[in-house]
Amino acid sequence: MTCPHCGEGIVAGDAFCEACGGELVPDAAARSDAASGDSAAVSSAGATPGVELPRTHLLRAESQMGVDTSLPCAACGAEVADDGFCSVCGHRARTRREHWTESHGPDAGSATGPAIGAVCDKGIAHAGNEDAMATALTAAGLAVVVVCDGVTTAPDSDKASLAASVATCELLAATPSIGGGFAARLTGWESALVAACRVANAEAVAIARSLGDPSEPPSCTWVASVVDGDLIATAWCGDSRGYWLPDGPPGEQLTLDHSLGTEMIRSGITREQAEADPTCHTITRWLGADSVDASPEYRAMRVEAPGWLLVCSDGMWNYASTPGELSGLVNQAVADGAATPTEIAESLAAFANAQGGHDNITVALVRCRPAASSASPTQA
Amino acid sequence: MAEFRAEVFQNEYLSDGATDVHGVVSVSVSGAGVAGQSPGTEAAEIIIVDTSGSMDMPPAKIAAARRAAKVAIGEIVDGTWFAVVSGHTVAQMVFPTHPGLAKMSDVTRRDASEAVGRLRSGGATAIGAWIAAATELFEQAPAGQRHAILLTDGKIEGEPAGALDAALANARGKFQCDCRGIGSDWVVEELRTIATELLGTVDIVAEPADLEADFEEMMRNAMSRGVADVRLRLWAPQGSEVMFVRQVAPQVDDLTPRAVRISPLVVEYPTGAWSDESRDYHVAVRVPTAPVGNERLAARVEVVVDDQVVAKGLVKAIWSGDTNLTTRIDPAVAHYTGQAQLADVIQRGLAAKASGDERTATVLLGEAAKLAHDTGNEDTTRLLNKVVDVVDVEAGTVRLKQQVAKSDEMALDTRSTKTTRIRREP
Repeated sequence: MTCPHCGEGIVAGDAFCEACGGELVPDAAARSDAASGDSAAVSSAGATPGVELPRTHLLRAESQMGVDTSLPCAACGAEVADDGFCSVCGHRARTRREHWTESHGPDAGSATGPAIGAVCDKGIAHAGNEDAMATALTAAGLAVVVVCDGVTTAPDSDKASLAASVATCELLAATPSIGGGFAARLTGWESALVAACRVANAEAVAIARSLGDPSEPPSCTWVASVVDGDLIATAWCGDSRGYWLPDGPPGEQLTLDHSLGTEMIRSGITREQAEADPTCHTITRWLGADSVDASPEYRAMRVEAPGWLLVCSDGMWNYASTPGELSGLVNQAVADGAATPTEIAESLAAFANAQGGHDNITVALVRCRPAASSASPTQA
Repeated sequence: MAEFRAEVFQNEYLSDGATDVHGVVSVSVSGAGVAGQSPGTEAAEIIIVDTSGSMDMPPAKIAAARRAAKVAIGEIVDGTWFAVVSGHTVAQMVFPTHPGLAKMSDVTRRDASEAVGRLRSGGATAIGAWIAAATELFEQAPAGQRHAILLTDGKIEGEPAGALDAALANARGKFQCDCRGIGSDWVVEELRTIATELLGTVDIVAEPADLEADFEEMMRNAMSRGVADVRLRLWAPQGSEVMFVRQVAPQVDDLTPRAVRISPLVVEYPTGAWSDESRDYHVAVRVPTAPVGNERLAARVEVVVDDQVVAKGLVKAIWSGDTNLTTRIDPAVAHYTGQAQLADVIQRGLAAKASGDERTATVLLGEAAKLAHDTGNEDTTRLLNKVVDVVDVEAGTVRLKQQVAKSDEMALDTRSTKTTRIRREP
């Protein structure tokens, strides 16, 4: 038998590949059920060792990343030609890879069910968008958001981030219902998120392999959150962040960056001093072939009041790093007339661009309402 | 089936506030086939031979013309509509004898060859009348590609001034015409005007003995042009200005004045029939500037056959603050800019020399010597060396030769537009 992710030999019955850490069947099979037919190749057993399997998650996602020629030109409003340039002013239309949004569920004003709105934007200074995201709202009411920030100095990290986020999201959305009380779901989602991080890492490693193992292999950060009724389960690896922003009381940062900045603060210097240091953003954990530590940290919390889960890349929190600032931006967006989670997310990204947009910007928002909690009754 | 390819060479990066975008679009065809042989197309050929009185001085010229016409007839493929016209004070049918076209076959080829063997000289040179006659004959041909060869040895003097211009105005777009001047008593400017208007070539055949080989090659080229009518379609954004579109290889030919407006942002340039070949076009567009970080399409260049786009090249503009990117000049653009300048300074230099302004001629031809050297155009360097003595090629210093054969000057003039291709990095 061989690993469907990296082609190395595996032992029957193992849950994960010893070589790449990729998840093995039956979970891979579950993933292929969740995805459309073309990802069947991922779980097909008996692949020839050494032969790269198609990176189906990546390819499918990329095929949807071209220019949407049905949208008018952003510069002058005229029609966009098939080659991606405006038919009147010649302005190059943004590709979906440079800017896209995802929306699920009812709008922010609705009283029931979670709602997701997310935006992934190239920003201004960078030539390409190495950030990626993936979101899902399942029939059972489970909300999943994933954000990955490709490492700009490593070429093709846009592919790693996209593959890692899509793979993670599909896997989490296909996770069978975790029954039981809050504590059971807390530990259940920990296992699922840790497993998802391994799969995401395997995707990033496999992309490096398919590119001929470059000396600077494509790599990315990773943060994933699941909203299961009153539970928010978050795991992360690197410096992309999750925040809980309740409507009334002060919010909190759910994640703690795996970065030199965090280590500086741990060693006693202030957050302001650390964030002013040029090495603050140097990450100490990431996904990819050259990662020294691709293991995630996990944090779960209970939703007791309505509020927003915000998951973002550093292109956003560089300009608003405290929960208070982010809450302020969300409230301002609503006051300015943003009616949906996606419009609010767009407003936050626009804020980051207005501050200079020095990095790619990804903002994913989940509107959480404890009253509309799903299947399981709340138990402490 | 003919396959077209278009490739763009440019530096798309512009500095903040810059507006001028340059690109070289290289278009090549393979599988062009044979003229008139693809379904639904027919080809027509007319050979116009100057039989004015001067063709007998020396008699070698008319003898060479007979042999050359015969060789050209031999190259015309079966099924092609054709005619041979003798040009003197009027245009006179040689073959067929009635004013019309014959279909090429073994029989007509033999009869036409015999007819050109009987060509005699006498009368004046009235090229306008010959062009007008060819236009009328082509109008009888079915739709398809139409090509003529025009041979003359003298300058127009048998018809009123303006007759040529009027004939060309009527002939434009109806056929292509390759022009040859035999000897050195003809006028380069007259034949260049005809070739330019009728999408053909112009060259000198100084020695009558060389005419046969030249006609053979010319007609063989014409027969290999299996794609009848190729147009270059250019889209440029609103608010932009097309500064110029010129063919830069295999020879310089300014297409700018031939633009036919199709819609507010689109123009087309006729380029005639194509064989398996490659032509390069230098496109320069002035576009409204955009902030740093923006990208805009400056020109969409499409190759159009039968109203179908068969190849496309995009010339882009990306505004950047990185001077490493914006200051680079694309090697193809630089090379062809130099080659176009070379043709221009040679023509202006020779015109100055002809008008007696030796000082200007010396400066311009010196510039030409430097440009030809810098761009590696060895053919032009060789032609220039027959007209000037180079003192310092790096500085562009030359002296006009005291004794210059007129045919050498004419060769330099007619061939000044021939360019060398840039060597592309593998």
